Amino acid sequence: MTASRKFGQPTRRREDAPLLTGRADFVADLVRPGMAAMRVVRASVAHARLRGIDFSAVANDPACLGFLSAHELPAGTGALPAADLVADSKPAHHGVLAREVVRYVGEPVAVVLAVDAYAAEDLAERVAIDYEPLPVVMDVHSGIKPGSALLYPQFGSNIVHQTTQLVGDPDGAFAAADIIVDETFSFQRVAANSMEMRGAIATLDAASGRYLVHSSTQIPQILRKELARITGIAPERLRVIAPQVGGGFGAKEAVYAEEILVLLALQRFGRATYWLEDRQESFIGSCHGREQSVRLRAAVTAAGIVTAVEVECLSDIGAAYQFLGNTPGAAIASVRGPYRIPNFRSRARSVVTNKTPLNVYRGAGYPQAIAAMERVMDLAATATGLDAAQIRRRNLLPPEAFPVERGIAYPGCGPVVFDSGNFPALLDSTLDAVDYPRFALRRARTAPEIALGLGLSFVVEMTGGGGGEPARLRLRPDGRLQLLSGIVPIGQGSETTLAQILADHLGVAIESIDVLSGDTDDSPDSPGTFASRGATMGGNAACRAADALIHRACRLAAELRGARAADIAWQDGVLVDRTRPGESLTLAALMQQAQAAGVVPAGGLDAAACYNDDAVSWSSACHAAVVEVDRGTGVVRVVDYAVTHDCGRIANPLLVDGQVMGGAVQGLGQCLFEEIRYDPAGLPLSKGYMDYVLPSAATVPRFTLRHIQTPSPLNPLGMKGAGEAGCSGAVAAIANAIANALGPQTTVPNGSGPFTPQLLHRILQGAPREEASA
Amino acid sequence: MTRAPTAADAAIAVVMTVDNATVRAQVPARYLLCDFLREQAGARGVHVACGHGVCGACTVVVDAVPVRACLMLAVQADGCVVQTIASLPALEGAAPGDSGLTRLQRAFRDHHALQCGYCTPGMLVSTASFLAANPGPSRGQILDHLNGHLCRCSGYANIIAAIESVRP
Repeated sequence: MTASRKFGQPTRRREDAPLLTGRADFVADLVRPGMAAMRVVRASVAHARLRGIDFSAVANDPACLGFLSAHELPAGTGALPAADLVADSKPAHHGVLAREVVRYVGEPVAVVLAVDAYAAEDLAERVAIDYEPLPVVMDVHSGIKPGSALLYPQFGSNIVHQTTQLVGDPDGAFAAADIIVDETFSFQRVAANSMEMRGAIATLDAASGRYLVHSSTQIPQILRKELARITGIAPERLRVIAPQVGGGFGAKEAVYAEEILVLLALQRFGRATYWLEDRQESFIGSCHGREQSVRLRAAVTAAGIVTAVEVECLSDIGAAYQFLGNTPGAAIASVRGPYRIPNFRSRARSVVTNKTPLNVYRGAGYPQAIAAMERVMDLAATATGLDAAQIRRRNLLPPEAFPVERGIAYPGCGPVVFDSGNFPALLDSTLDAVDYPRFALRRARTAPEIALGLGLSFVVEMTGGGGGEPARLRLRPDGRLQLLSGIVPIGQGSETTLAQILADHLGVAIESIDVLSGDTDDSPDSPGTFASRGATMGGNAACRAADALIHRACRLAAELRGARAADIAWQDGVLVDRTRPGESLTLAALMQQAQAAGVVPAGGLDAAACYNDDAVSWSSACHAAVVEVDRGTGVVRVVDYAVTHDCGRIANPLLVDGQVMGGAVQGLGQCLFEEIRYDPAGLPLSKGYMDYVLPSAATVPRFTLRHIQTPSPLNPLGMKGAGEAGCSGAVAAIANAIANALGPQTTVPNGSGPFTPQLLHRILQGAPREEASA
Repeated sequence: MTRAPTAADAAIAVVMTVDNATVRAQVPARYLLCDFLREQAGARGVHVACGHGVCGACTVVVDAVPVRACLMLAVQADGCVVQTIASLPALEGAAPGDSGLTRLQRAFRDHHALQCGYCTPGMLVSTASFLAANPGPSRGQILDHLNGHLCRCSGYANIIAAIESVRP
């Protein structure tokens, strides 16, 4: 590493110019004249047998270019994929199109293709579907009762997965406890709502006979494999490109029917086909997140030590799954947070309901688990006469405890071992950032019509993993370096971050590095972008590929100079010959000489490597929110928000801060505004931004962001992920702050509300709790 | 994609000036301005994110007034002068700097006020109009203005800071 370090600098993003000028190519920008517009005909009832699909009103319309239902799909078309992370689960998987039964409003039943999107929408409305209604399951509590209607009668139950974990002797701890806190929490269904919706385009390259699918996805390599499996097309005839992706947050981390259907339609009708989601469709057709019921019991001593926790998670996963076990798995893995809590028992069950499938959304199960645990901490504090900071401090794992074996497993990721952290330092920093010692004074000075509250929360979350991360590095004939990464940029700035990491690792100018990704023909076979893995996994992989490339460059230099390979070394960004001190060769000069000698391939030198250490590292954060609740209107304003974050060594603080603030505001949205609602028959009530409120600029608090950098010992760069800790702690901190504002005499619903003015107004009017949460 | 009128909807001749170029097309009455701009005028910086006038991503300036291009029909803009992100220098009344970016674009870049960038062009167009009409706005005025735009990535704080930084 050289003196001109890029790692750790708030480098401005190289991604920005095309975005700022509107020239970036999102998937919608790649639609070309002559392509067929595909419209999905979606189930309009929540649960029904399909008696018939009648295309007669569209078949002869001159605008119609084709239509498909399950009956028109080629025999052998596979089902949508499901990453099943747990044993003994029930296969609640869906076909590309519903064949016999529809299980949620929005489920794809058919597609029509037309000359343009307007005509396709008209035609889709004229496809007649004959439904025989079936009873619906709209909540997990009734869905698990004996005699409930069943989504999959062949399973005999709506519970499709169940895991239990045990650490120590929770029964003994509860028997010996001075205080038992026992609370049940409800977390509503929300949606990721990336501003760019999903979209896919299938085209055929006539010359090569290969199919190209453009899709707004976080996982192009996985999509390519699944396209091959589902359609039977040989993988080498398939290429997937994720163009500019306008946000993902996990909702684009699934393989969706539409991505398959554009290809099937192209195969069947011979015309390049595109599909662009609209927002109303997005609310029923793209994965939802979060919905979960959590019961948490804690055994607490009179001194405020939490000796045991027992947690029961019921996840409402909707009608099918793609990542079974992930959301409850994240909840179980993180629920004890930074606290010692030596005894533990958990049971997680995933329940199918007649709603849109639920998948991972930024933080998956962390926000729910953290909000439950942190509320219980506050209640235990009240019961033991401690304050919120005191009780947390008494229970924190000390810095010298690392690595900490938690005695449990995260499905698909192995044992939970906290690799690094300094929890007391996080707490001290955040308390200082909100001037905690003087908060009582601040509250006393607040106008009487305002209830001021402060809430704390701690996040400990798994980052990275997902399997080995490959990378390729090319040294172009002109001396430029081209990193081919599997990390798909979805707004997090990975091109800039990876270039910074690589520039330092090699000691070369950051301007000499190009970062490319998203094209399965070019970029390596990576799992993709999720689980806050991009910078750590992609960065370490880039360094390994750089080492491999330098090895090749040294050998090439030796060959050109007639030197022994052992005498050529890489030093401060140049090649040196140990036998000739003072001489050096840049990579550009090496390529010039190699070209002159005719000993280098036309594309330049190329090296690949894989970062195989599937080492998950655990990031942590301490959040504090200060809220004002208007006693008259029930309006909540988050006025101050402090986060001290530990994601190990930080490559780019500008971008990490952006992740933390953006995440925190998503958590704020969940806690104050957002909710996907259904009526009792399963009809969705949230269809757009008039019914579903997203946070706006006026809702943003004053942020104080701080960092503690405890390097992870598990990867050479010492990094931990930064994408989700902002989101994961915000619900907890804000919900705790609201409860703190209203005081122990007022019962505030447990969970993430959302704490709308209507809800708080009823609480402030003294309505009973049931009525208030109705 | 080219909008090929179908028999169901008779085509109407429309002409407008989009980013200084004259664009003529025969379009159906229901054809949205956002689709016209993207498909007929090649103004792909007009991004559609909600389609019902809430998010502000498709904001363009029509005859000097910011409008949501998803809530206006192309035929309503017949004869109008439309400015999209490509007209940002004109809207800001200043040529871009060496980087090819305007003052506002540079402020967004320097403050990391964009992540995925999908909402950004509409926000810049509308902010340039806002600042032209309200030089030296208060923070409250900036927040009021930004309430017409949704961004899901940034958490807004850096956007507010970027706009505050270009106040005279």
